[in-house]
Amino acid sequence: MYCKVKLLLSVVFVFWASFGFAHEMTPAYPKFVTSYIDDVSVTKMKLFNRRDDVSYYEVQVFDNDWESVPFASTNRIFKLGYQKSTSFEVYIQTKDLKYAVYICTMSKNFKQDKKVTIVASRICSKID
Amino acid sequence: MLKKLAVISSLILTTPAFAVNSPINGQVQAKCSIWTETQGVYGNPLPNKLDTLPDSGGSFSSFRVDIAQANFYKTSFTHPISFSSSPTLSDTVVWSGSTVVGQVSVTEMSAYETAKVISPSNVTTFDMTLAGSTWFTVSSTALYGYNKSLPAGSYVAQIVAECIAK
Repeated sequence: MYCKVKLLLSVVFVFWASFGFAHEMTPAYPKFVTSYIDDVSVTKMKLFNRRDDVSYYEVQVFDNDWESVPFASTNRIFKLGYQKSTSFEVYIQTKDLKYAVYICTMSKNFKQDKKVTIVASRICSKID
Repeated sequence: MLKKLAVISSLILTTPAFAVNSPINGQVQAKCSIWTETQGVYGNPLPNKLDTLPDSGGSFSSFRVDIAQANFYKTSFTHPISFSSSPTLSDTVVWSGSTVVGQVSVTEMSAYETAKVISPSNVTTFDMTLAGSTWFTVSSTALYGYNKSLPAGSYVAQIVAECIAK
């Protein structure tokens, strides 16, 4: 009986895990450290693309009122294939660091020619 | 006797120490994942109306949010208030929509529905206080002008689903 339940649960899990499209980012609470550039701090983030309908993501940094905070990254918009992950660094001037609260990645969608709703996903980590 | 002891102790002292590197491995996993289960589709039940309601020939957008750690995230859904692409419209469009909690993996998660915060009017935020999976359904309606038909063509609107660390 236990084995049957276990098997059923694993089938359900596999079904769940393979159905739908997800967007994930770590860490949830990034910490900034001093970078090799004077007065600039840096943190490293990792993004997972499990959305097969999305291949571009945009990096964003916001303050507590969701206003943009100046930052630099290797690419603000980058291409990331389905089931791929990438690491990226976010550089913020140390003087702006006290305003920065969220680091987010947002999916970029292509224009579509259907009568549909496009889904844009955004994951935001909170700066520690 | 002393000679024997000296030999034994020198043997012990010269025995090589075997050090084994035993790393502790760990991986940081995402604590909040947004899964798009169904992309919404607009039905066109009236000449001036686009609606995701199944009765109107449309389908709702459905999302699953997986929370690995309780109380670390908020989830918000923004239903559209404009088209991201459409034919040229000469009149105003009145938008409405909602986000409701659907299935839940933990019974107590049904309380998310009563605790949801709608602010501004097209953004619904849920405080994810429990670990597990929650399904959300987002609906959207666009009503065009007064007794006017929507111009023929394709209409696309965007829903934003967010996971925000608290």
